[in-house]
Amino acid sequence: MNEASLPAADARWRWLPAWLRPLPEARAGGREKGRAWLIETWLLVLVAVFLAVATVNDLGREVDINHRLVADLATWRHYTHHDYVNISIDQETLGLDSGREVLCGNTIPGAPGEKTQICLAIWGPVRDGLRGVHGGWYLPPYHPDTPANRYGCFGPAGQGRCPR
Amino acid sequence: MSAVAHGERPLAEVRSARWASALATALALVLVAAAVEVVLDGALGHSAEIPLQPDISGWLTTPVWGGARIGERLGFRVFIIALLASTGAYGGLVVLAGRAGAWTGRARRERAQAPAISARWAIALVAALQLIVFAGPVLISTDVFSYIAYARMGVEHGMNPYLNGPLAIAGDPVFKYVGTDWIHVATAYGPLYTLLSYPLAPLGVVGALWGMKLEALLASAGTLALTWRCARARGLDPVLALLVVGANPLYVLYGLGGAHNDLIMMLTMMAAVSLMLAPRTPGVGGIGARREAGAAAWVVAGALIKATVAVLLPFMILSRRRLAPILGALAAIALGALAGYAVFGIHGIDLVAALNRDAAFVSTDSFATEIAHLFGKPGVFPVDHDLLKAALVAIVLYLLWRTWRGYDWVAASGWALLAISVTSTWLLAWYILWPLPLAVVTRDRRLLAATLAVQALFVVHQTSPLLAPVK
Repeated sequence: MNEASLPAADARWRWLPAWLRPLPEARAGGREKGRAWLIETWLLVLVAVFLAVATVNDLGREVDINHRLVADLATWRHYTHHDYVNISIDQETLGLDSGREVLCGNTIPGAPGEKTQICLAIWGPVRDGLRGVHGGWYLPPYHPDTPANRYGCFGPAGQGRCPR
Repeated sequence: MSAVAHGERPLAEVRSARWASALATALALVLVAAAVEVVLDGALGHSAEIPLQPDISGWLTTPVWGGARIGERLGFRVFIIALLASTGAYGGLVVLAGRAGAWTGRARRERAQAPAISARWAIALVAALQLIVFAGPVLISTDVFSYIAYARMGVEHGMNPYLNGPLAIAGDPVFKYVGTDWIHVATAYGPLYTLLSYPLAPLGVVGALWGMKLEALLASAGTLALTWRCARARGLDPVLALLVVGANPLYVLYGLGGAHNDLIMMLTMMAAVSLMLAPRTPGVGGIGARREAGAAAWVVAGALIKATVAVLLPFMILSRRRLAPILGALAAIALGALAGYAVFGIHGIDLVAALNRDAAFVSTDSFATEIAHLFGKPGVFPVDHDLLKAALVAIVLYLLWRTWRGYDWVAASGWALLAISVTSTWLLAWYILWPLPLAVVTRDRRLLAATLAVQALFVVHQTSPLLAPVK
């Protein structure tokens, strides 16, 4: 061993408290199987299990969201009878993690947001690949979905969301 | 006397070796096939996994007899299947290469009698993977276009990339390729990297892109060569070390595929480790002060590319307990700061501000986000950033104490880099590559196991589009 040959047991450090003193070379290597090594290993195993649980849980959450979003897109297309690809999905307006989404898309063909848009508030369980539409509103072309831009609100989800 | 005693190998052992060789070949073919699939589909153009970019690899999918391109654009599904296949094959290869504990010198001698994976074979496989990805398009990330934008900003437009985001050069041909999240963001990379990228700016976007890809390829080759050298210097199996790093799917597809400058940072890191691990000169009694100073200077050079690698410095200094690495680091810092200041002003050397800014970002793949979701929170809050920083500081302090007490500084540095990526709220695939070359040149195998486990969790987390595809 070359690099690991440290001046570990150097007399220079005798003045330090024992827990801070460098260990003799034989006890200092990476394969040291002392109590510290054992505790570290157990801690690492616990952290690994914790991270694995968090990862798998998040994967399940993402799969659930994807499943829901697929149903949302199908619902928007079914409701509007437009087979458009560019539909925006907003998960925050009706509450992040609430499972309620707002999907907006053009009412007539055109680039995304270029035409008048219809926004649908969608939530509930997936049945036959679709979810429930609980109302919505319209947006003028080139206008983001902010309360001031909404008009023609309809359904329970649209109540109180239009300025006039 | 038994056959073994005569130096002959028992029949069962010969059969086992043949099976191992056949299996290794099959696994290597899976790795190569997956890389080829990703590159060929990726060469067809912009998709969910392929950022918008100049058509640099269209020739790969144009039939030699002419006509329309063949294949399908790279979607989530194909990419994830390729990633999973690569990961499985890689895991199998690592197990085969490391079978019977080939980590140690004893097992290396045993392996030399019946190598399932020879050195030549491993080098050929790793080289093939690197070249396949090099020939293809930029994969997954738009970062390389930010690098080019910063270079063009300085050279072609006379602007300071430490003060402006790419939006400042919105008329430049590279601008449309820069990720929308980054158009307002000034460079977070060190001045040395920015200076290295400047000569590529006048080559145009395509020329600069190939230049960046070549830089990444050369940095990768250098990192692998140094990893081999360090493993040998420590009496570890260099073939296993080479395979673990060079055939790693995240290293190949994400790191090299995205031409990330993390590879250049890793090159400087391994240059520093290599200098520190160099064999003793007979009669001198230890590695020389010059080498130690040089190693510290390499770490500083790496930090002037990407600041993260600076974490190696205290471990290196504590392990030697001599003045040379401190002097080497100080000299390199002075030189780098002077050059950075002269070219970019004070902002060019304010790496702490850049780190703080990046530390505030949050990615969906970070463990912090996953843990927040586990506890029913919608995401990471400012207080979580503080908790994570505190946890990181505690881990680094513990590792410093262990290093002072004699624990291997290379392993400690690897743990620190792994801790940085795990506690970061902004986790990207190429960040969990940082500790990998260190993990294969240390005897503490827990580091390698932990690094590969973290990478495996990252891969698992990518699979949601496969389980519930969004149409």
